[in-house]
Amino acid sequence: MEQQKLTVPIAIIIAGVLVAGAVIFSNSNGSNSVAQAPTDNQGEQQAPQPSGSTDAVNPVTAEDHIKGDINAPVKIVEYSDMECPFCKRFHDTMNQVMDEYGADGQVAWVFRQFPLEQLHPVKAQREAVASECANELGGNDVFWQFTDRFFELTPSNNQTDLETIIPQIVREIGLNESAFNECLDSGKYDSHIEEDIQNAVATGGRGTPWSVVIGPDGTTYPLSGAQPYEAVKQLIDIALNSK
Amino acid sequence: MIAGLYRVFSNPVYIVLSVGIALVVFTFAVLLPNFPLLSQILPSQSIELSDKVSLIFSLFESIQTNFTAVSATYTILIAILFGMNVSLFTYFVYKQKAIIKGTNSVAGIGGLVSGIFGIGCAACGTFILTWVLGLIGAASIISFLPLGGEEFGILGVVLLVYAVVVTAKKISTPQVCAID
Repeated sequence: MEQQKLTVPIAIIIAGVLVAGAVIFSNSNGSNSVAQAPTDNQGEQQAPQPSGSTDAVNPVTAEDHIKGDINAPVKIVEYSDMECPFCKRFHDTMNQVMDEYGADGQVAWVFRQFPLEQLHPVKAQREAVASECANELGGNDVFWQFTDRFFELTPSNNQTDLETIIPQIVREIGLNESAFNECLDSGKYDSHIEEDIQNAVATGGRGTPWSVVIGPDGTTYPLSGAQPYEAVKQLIDIALNSK
Repeated sequence: MIAGLYRVFSNPVYIVLSVGIALVVFTFAVLLPNFPLLSQILPSQSIELSDKVSLIFSLFESIQTNFTAVSATYTILIAILFGMNVSLFTYFVYKQKAIIKGTNSVAGIGGLVSGIFGIGCAACGTFILTWVLGLIGAASIISFLPLGGEEFGILGVVLLVYAVVVTAKKISTPQVCAID
């Protein structure tokens, strides 16, 4: 009876340990936790053991896909999967953020690729490549036109009809279709996307959307999931004050 | 069963206990994905207390943005049911002092653990689930589940409901020595 009396408290303790373990493992530097990430044309493999530190975020350069001023005091680096429904939702939130903070150059939004092959096989990777091809053929503004329109049209969650939506967007934004298709099938951006994935994992990303907010003094803040506008705004204000 | 529930929750102490536990579980579930952010922000002395409080409250809104309708529903249900379960069990243990029989405690444990697997971030790539399955090298199993891992949360709700029903029945059953 004594043993049975203790079952609920013990269950709570076990659950607490389980959760605490998850949190500790996912945050500790050099931990043994492993996030699985896809690799280009190699199916799934285990990513290198991540440090899980947002300080590992690759520096923002002119090579990045940037909406807003690259010299903005606050930069939000988003690692996104174009087939993820939460990324679709967060894309709207970020556009709202840029409407308020982008116009006066306070925030720059940096878009990096984090296609989750396990959850959205084939499609997420191909959409990431498509966005890179749009960037190659039309530049940064066209990249954002492509991604904005894609997130607008996609039903997400692996339900996107790639054969319809991508050609439609390519035509809408006026890209050369044959050049685009050639780029899409070339595999030339696979390694670039893989670099983004590895960096997402290295910064602690375990799912999408995953963001790293960089303050004017270089302080980095992790932001996981499709957080509401108010939360992003609050974090931006905190970052802006970290001068 | 209804009699058992009435007997327990007619006492305000158990209502307060249930609500308190439910709030803790809900808070944990909603804020869990951003534990690293909070662990960085909250101890910081350079950030105003009001900003910290505002950030926490704004993150609560993620129940609308960072959860599917299904996951938001079962997260709230798990919190409520877990609170009820703790109250019922506490009443059962401390008031009745009866011999605990049956499988209610087992279901409670199962519901809690399964529920915790199910809660966490419902974003693409669940938090705890990915971590645990990643340890055994089977993260891709999520993609084979019809609901992408939400099965764990639903299972948690089912087990917790079962635990509540069984415990409430036991509370309402007179303590007698059976003839057989």
